[in-house]
Amino acid sequence: MKRVVIERKILERNDSSAQRIRALLKEKNIFSLNFMSSPGAGKTTTIEQTIKALKDKHKISFIDGDLETDRDAERIKALGIDTVQINTSGACHLDANMVLKALDKVSLDCDILIIENVGNLVCPATFDVGCDKNVVILSVPEGDDKVKKYPVMFNVADVILINKIDLADFMDFDKEKVKKEIKEISPKAKVFEISAKTGYGFDDWINFLSDMVKKR
Amino acid sequence: MHEGSIAESIVDILKETKKSNNLSKITKVTLKIGIMSGVMVDALLFALDALREEEAIIKNTEFEIIESNVKAYCILCNKNFEFQKNEEIVLLCDECNMPLEIKEGKEMEIIDIEGE
Ligand SMILES: Nc1nc2c(ncn2[C@@H]2O[C@H](COP(=O)(O)OP(=O)(O)OP(=O)(O)O)[C@@H](O)[C@H]2O)c(=O)[nH]1
Ligand SMILES: [Mg+2]
Ligand SMILES: [Zn+2]
Repeated sequence: MKRVVIERKILERNDSSAQRIRALLKEKNIFSLNFMSSPGAGKTTTIEQTIKALKDKHKISFIDGDLETDRDAERIKALGIDTVQINTSGACHLDANMVLKALDKVSLDCDILIIENVGNLVCPATFDVGCDKNVVILSVPEGDDKVKKYPVMFNVADVILINKIDLADFMDFDKEKVKKEIKEISPKAKVFEISAKTGYGFDDWINFLSDMVKKR
Repeated sequence: MHEGSIAESIVDILKETKKSNNLSKITKVTLKIGIMSGVMVDALLFALDALREEEAIIKNTEFEIIESNVKAYCILCNKNFEFQKNEEIVLLCDECNMPLEIKEGKEMEIIDIEGE
């Protein structure tokens, strides 16, 4: 019998691909965002509104990860944005290797790269995809108890967008409780209340994002 | 269920290790999984079991998983905090209310293997 001490990270291959993505995007001076949320929380709608607000000033590229279909990619393409679709064919998350391959196809003649991860509040949190910032969306109809139920996802968030705020009054959604729990699980995350439907809160979010892009 | 991808990554590393150490089989593997890594231990063991059929290298391998608690630290107060599984995690210092730094509890590692 032989004992071998390894002490290796299980996701070392993913992490090294994520580092390659970081190096590549840095070299091209591209600021990158990884949008994550449960299915239907409003990733694509928020990305659409964000692109509309920024596309006069910035060149944007988009990578969409979905289990099936290219519906979301088509919605973003309709805005005149260079778009690449990753069908994960069953995988519940994007990983850095998938994104690295997609970077071969998407235009890198841009200053912002937006990635929409697979709709899932658990799995994508574990896989670094090499972006500058993780943006996690929590939508009002999901309920105000989700932060502590999905701590891993909220902990990896750099920005948390509380979306569908237009529905707050119909849903008994306690915003203060949510913000308190975000402080406890993700104390450094920046939080915005938005409605991708009415545009509420977008000025603050867009200003913050523009600032980050400027400082890249 | 991302534990399937995690299990595959483990098998990849085991294959490399088996080769580089000239082992004929791997009898036991010890893993360290943080309670805030996003990996569910039961789901991971299930995924590893499901791989046994197609991956001969782990056909009879025993997997031991060490779960590590969340350990966090306040730089300002020089104070340590520990949270166990099923305990509510609060990453703010109870004295100065500043964000804590996570030292442990997010890792996913292969610690060691036993083989012949
Ligand atoms: N009332 C309201 N509805 C919204 C808002 N944002 C998005 N929606 C609606 O929510 C539904 C889902 O939005 P999507 O943007 O497709 O959500 P998604 O997160 O991209 O969904 P997946 O990609 O399938 O995970 C759509 O019907 C949107 O019109 C909002 O702020 N308020
Ligand atoms: Mg979508
Ligand atoms: Zn303190």
